[in-house]
Amino acid sequence: MCYAGNILKIDLSKEKGEKQKIGESFVLKYLGGDGFGAYFMNKEVDARIDAFSPDNALIIAPGLFVGTAVPTAGKTSFFSKSALTNGWNEGVMGGRIGFEMKQAGYDAIIVKGKAKELSYIVIRDDEVKINSAEHLRGETTRKTAEEIKKDEGVDVVATIGIAGEKLVRLAIVDCDERQAGRGGIGAVMGSKNLKAIAVEGTKDIKISKPEKLLKLAEEWYEKMISHPSFEEDGKYGTGEFLEWMNSERGTFPTRNWREGVFDERKEIDPYYWAPKYAIKNKACIQCVKPCGKAFVAGGFMLDGVEYETLFALGSNCGVASIEHVAKANELCDLYGMDTISAGGIVGFLMDLYENGIVKKDEIGFEAKFGDGNALLELIKMIANREGIGNLLAEGVKIASKKIKGSEKYAVHVRGLEPPAYDVRGIKGMGLAFMSSPRGACHLRSGAYALELTGKFWKYEGVDRFSSKNKGKEIADMENFMAIYDALGVCKFSRKIFLLNFEELLDACIGKGMKEDELLLIGERICNLKHIFNIKAGWKKSDCKLPEKMRIPIPEGVSKGSYISKEEEKEMLEDYFRARGWRKDGIPKKSKIKELEIEEFLV
Amino acid sequence: MMYIKTIPENCSGCKVCEITCSLWHWKIINIRKSGIRIDKKSIVEDIPKVCTHGKNCNFECIEACKFDAMKKNGEIVYVDHEKCTGCGACERACPINAVWIHEKKAYKCDLCNGTPQCIKFCSQNAIVLG
Repeated sequence: MCYAGNILKIDLSKEKGEKQKIGESFVLKYLGGDGFGAYFMNKEVDARIDAFSPDNALIIAPGLFVGTAVPTAGKTSFFSKSALTNGWNEGVMGGRIGFEMKQAGYDAIIVKGKAKELSYIVIRDDEVKINSAEHLRGETTRKTAEEIKKDEGVDVVATIGIAGEKLVRLAIVDCDERQAGRGGIGAVMGSKNLKAIAVEGTKDIKISKPEKLLKLAEEWYEKMISHPSFEEDGKYGTGEFLEWMNSERGTFPTRNWREGVFDERKEIDPYYWAPKYAIKNKACIQCVKPCGKAFVAGGFMLDGVEYETLFALGSNCGVASIEHVAKANELCDLYGMDTISAGGIVGFLMDLYENGIVKKDEIGFEAKFGDGNALLELIKMIANREGIGNLLAEGVKIASKKIKGSEKYAVHVRGLEPPAYDVRGIKGMGLAFMSSPRGACHLRSGAYALELTGKFWKYEGVDRFSSKNKGKEIADMENFMAIYDALGVCKFSRKIFLLNFEELLDACIGKGMKEDELLLIGERICNLKHIFNIKAGWKKSDCKLPEKMRIPIPEGVSKGSYISKEEEKEMLEDYFRARGWRKDGIPKKSKIKELEIEEFLV
Repeated sequence: MMYIKTIPENCSGCKVCEITCSLWHWKIINIRKSGIRIDKKSIVEDIPKVCTHGKNCNFECIEACKFDAMKKNGEIVYVDHEKCTGCGACERACPINAVWIHEKKAYKCDLCNGTPQCIKFCSQNAIVLG
């Protein structure tokens, strides 16, 4: 059956944990991971509270296929109300915590309350302990994990760094050098005085049809290793298509979204740096098609540098030196900060500096685009909330409200700094940034690949420069991707699996589901996230793109493209129609009924 | 003789070998019942540990076992779980740390009747037939 049938609820204020049972019908309705998060966030959290309220929840839920032999299905999701967007938030990682949770007998952990001192939780099967972490205050993610592993004799630790402790709104949770990265989940963990969660599970995970699973695992394994992405990602990681994004598509955001091509990109292209610095591949658990790299340079090492980071800490800050980008990546990992948001914020500040809005004496040094040392210094200042870093630690949205004249340089959607897709030339992604439940996000829809190549799944002939007919496309892709996050399957396998999970589901839980059944679950999950946002105060008027998206891309093959206010409106209304929502974006009662989520009616 | 050769510099740390091993042998998933383990020490060190069936030892586990539970079938060393008491003598004796006790039973590589599943599923060539 591959699920444990238990949820573990921990109240840090009362220092106690309790188990709650879940049954098969619940699993069939929500699957796991994203589905459980969507359900329990609505069930357990009053969406109106502040993200740093002890009543906010930190929910951890491995996908249904985590703890099986399904290849590339090792993803675990973290959920909380977002410190950056004040709405729904989730972060998906390939660290081992979810696998250990399954072996410990839990399909989700819900942490609420606030510990009286900095603490960590140790879960060993049925035993739950809360220990002081005061001796680890200020320690890096890496050191914290090492110390807890040593002291407790456990192998798997998810932890925050100093940024989370200091409520830096872009703080992450790290496990195995994999991160639940976006929207400040680490800050929420910090607000609970929770430094880390260690898990050790020793129980069996039952499989409905083990022989069938083994046979299917082998078949899918063969498909994976013979797919072209096996070699491409294996050699160059997720940044493999960086050159293509620049020269063939012209949609690689550069210098705080001034340009769509980074002319100085030679060194940050993995075709340059991977042979020089990457000493081996690094995988998430259960992955046979690894895209991670062990990057080793003089005096430091990290697992990276991933595509989004090459943009955020590279082109978006104009930094062309791979050693600076990689070092900045390592600092973010160690302090526990999201590289995408960190690069968004530093790029924003550099833009303000070059435009004379923020002066040298306010920063303490010059902060021109391209200055790798300024980037490193600013990352330290943000993580430690020092100097101007204290304001930048609030994220672009809040900082731009406090710095006079800066709003037109602020690039975010509902508070989340965007990833590496210049949506001016990928209009469907522009809609996806607006419709995503966590603000500017590439992963809820993953529609960038479809838009940039024109075809994927049931779509073909998609025109990235057009704003027509994007509503259904993005809604479909969001439903599709929600299934990946509910099953815990890596999205880099989406071209290989599509939604062909029927046999794997039958092998794992004894019930196969076809594409249409899965898409209904995906739609249910997407609606539940939206319902959470509505309760949190979401308004249609918040669904807008930054001012910079109105300025045409100046150079490259997407030159001249931009998204007008009219196109924005057209796409959003089209999306609401496709979703069966009212014109104001509220789901119709008939839709809620169809999805069988009436208990969460707004 | 057949054994599993490890090439740590190729290992990505995915643990698919451990997962598959437990599924093939015990029809469940439990990496603590696997006969191969990946020791993840740091970003650059993912070290597969697996029995080499005498290649790198003098069968100390067999010597150490007082219950006749550590046996040889031809050149393959395997655990007889009916006899194993989980005393841990084999785990302590193994010079390459490739036997583990879990819930009072010893676990180690038995080469899966001659078709090692871990090798079949290792996409990085970190474990190969030696």
